Amino acid sequence: MLLSLRGVCKRFGGFQALRDVTGEIEGRAVGLLGPNGAGKTTLMKICVGLLAADEGEVRVLGIDARREPGRVRARLGYAAEGPGRIPGLTGLESVAYAAELCGLTRRDAFLRAHEVLDLVGLDEARQREVEHYSTGMHQRVKLAMALVHDPELVLLDEPTSGLDPSSRDELLELLERLRDGDGPAFLLSTHLLHDVERTCDTCLIMDRGQLRFAGTLASLREGAPREFELRPLASARADDRRDRLGALRAGLERAGARVDVGRRPGTLVVALPPARIWEVSRALDIPIAHLEARALSLEEVFLRTIRGRDDDDAGAEMSKQAGHGA
Amino acid sequence: MRNQIFSTGYRPLPPAEARARGPWPAWPIARTALTLAWRRTGTKIALMLCAAVVFAVGVGLVAQVLAENAAQQLAEGQPLAAGMMRAVVGSVQDTFAIFLRTQFFFSAVALAVIGGGLIADDRHAGALELYFSRPLTRRDYALGKLLAALAVPLCTIVAPFVLLWLMTVGIAPPALRGPMLGLLAPGLGGALLASLTLAATVVGVSAHGERRRTVGVIFVVILLALSAVGEGVADAGFELAGYLSPTRDVQTVVDSLLGVGVGGLAAQLLELRSGSVNDSAWLSAGALTLMTLAGLGAVGARLRQEVAG
Repeated sequence: MLLSLRGVCKRFGGFQALRDVTGEIEGRAVGLLGPNGAGKTTLMKICVGLLAADEGEVRVLGIDARREPGRVRARLGYAAEGPGRIPGLTGLESVAYAAELCGLTRRDAFLRAHEVLDLVGLDEARQREVEHYSTGMHQRVKLAMALVHDPELVLLDEPTSGLDPSSRDELLELLERLRDGDGPAFLLSTHLLHDVERTCDTCLIMDRGQLRFAGTLASLREGAPREFELRPLASARADDRRDRLGALRAGLERAGARVDVGRRPGTLVVALPPARIWEVSRALDIPIAHLEARALSLEEVFLRTIRGRDDDDAGAEMSKQAGHGA
Repeated sequence: MRNQIFSTGYRPLPPAEARARGPWPAWPIARTALTLAWRRTGTKIALMLCAAVVFAVGVGLVAQVLAENAAQQLAEGQPLAAGMMRAVVGSVQDTFAIFLRTQFFFSAVALAVIGGGLIADDRHAGALELYFSRPLTRRDYALGKLLAALAVPLCTIVAPFVLLWLMTVGIAPPALRGPMLGLLAPGLGGALLASLTLAATVVGVSAHGERRRTVGVIFVVILLALSAVGEGVADAGFELAGYLSPTRDVQTVVDSLLGVGVGGLAAQLLELRSGSVNDSAWLSAGALTLMTLAGLGAVGARLRQEVAG
């Protein structure tokens, strides 16, 4: 078990950053998704022991993060979102220093630092001071610092933010290699769905301090409401097509469906079982010429997951379900 | 090239039991802080300033020992001249006390330059997260920084004191050597107390700042302001206020430990010795200890605020 969260709450003054977050998280590559301000960084900091939860229990790799933060940190790597650098040190010295702080001897620390910097692809630049690094190089050093002591779990807070497409691709490739090789498990916090889709097998979705979903990406897609794209049968006249589309939309909405305009002209996207769609069509006497199940992208599933549970009580319920489901 | 680099792959480390254990984490923290400080020009200038004081005091001590030697030879035939010579150059004890008091101030300046950024730089660069995401306690971190700060006065006050003492004992005539031997322990005690006070205070101020230079200036201003207020109020009649002045406290403690008299004429003419000291060396030592504890408390309070555990 990577993480076990039970009723975790955290408040900063009047702002409730985490509300009753509960869940059991497993996997080798876990994505932590959520919009800005969802509570991802707060949750990570609580796991590392940088922040204390106001309520609830956090266990990382089976260890209580509040009672034994030292033991947790010895088995955990953390790459923070912020600058997090020691000005004046070179990349190599920074990584070796991080290793020494984790209990490696100076010699072993430098050997290991070279090895990990090779892995993250920081070549001769490792001898330059970190404040002269580009964002991409800086992210690599942070990743190397998180990996240098061979942790069992690495927490990566927005590692691809600020990277150009090529650097981002390289970093994601590295994460894929870690996932597929002997590397540690990682928890990747991001608001970029593509990053999670590419590198992770499990995903958590947070929104406004609550855990909305915890499970595999496949189960996230399966759990999303099915949508259908339909086109009513209409004459060639434009006003007739528009009237029929409007009438059908109104009828479907009265039946309780969420209806959006489709990407193709003259189509609607409806989240309603086909049988109910046919019922509405028959009742309105508007035949349907085309009906097709629509595959949702992860982005759409993500947005549906967040938008679909605005109500706090529903969110808390989901959080509990996620705890059992993951 | 990229593929070649990436082909290295991830290699797990051998288990912790199978590899050599690293040092206590405070040690790499202190060493790295000092390495970074040494790379700055300001550090080298500040240390050269301190070295200049040591050199000047060394020259003074050699002159005193030679004068004492001459005075001993004169004492049999011309006791008045010998007495005058001793009165002008003063005693070696005086010079050591002057050294410790003067170097306390110069070390404070050096510490302001070197130690101002010890914690402030980490706060400014967001490096505290980096430290405390490692298996490191707040105590390890604070001790590492304190060790780095302490290294400065150890190099500028304690080590030079020992070297000057060794030099003086080495060149002193046999008659002077006896009393000189007894100066080491009390001198070291005073030097260590002064060093600890300076180190703890600068780390305490640094923990509450984010800019190295601002912290350095505030540290020196605090020391000067306390000294000025303490001296001024004490001279105005409220003697207890003298204990507020760290320089006066250091002088009181050192004078008491070294058994210093009024000082030689040369020292008085050069205004190297302030005539006034506090009444009680114990209270002065207590005031310095309080200052040390205040510095350590300030570090602890800030770290508790910044990091949960």
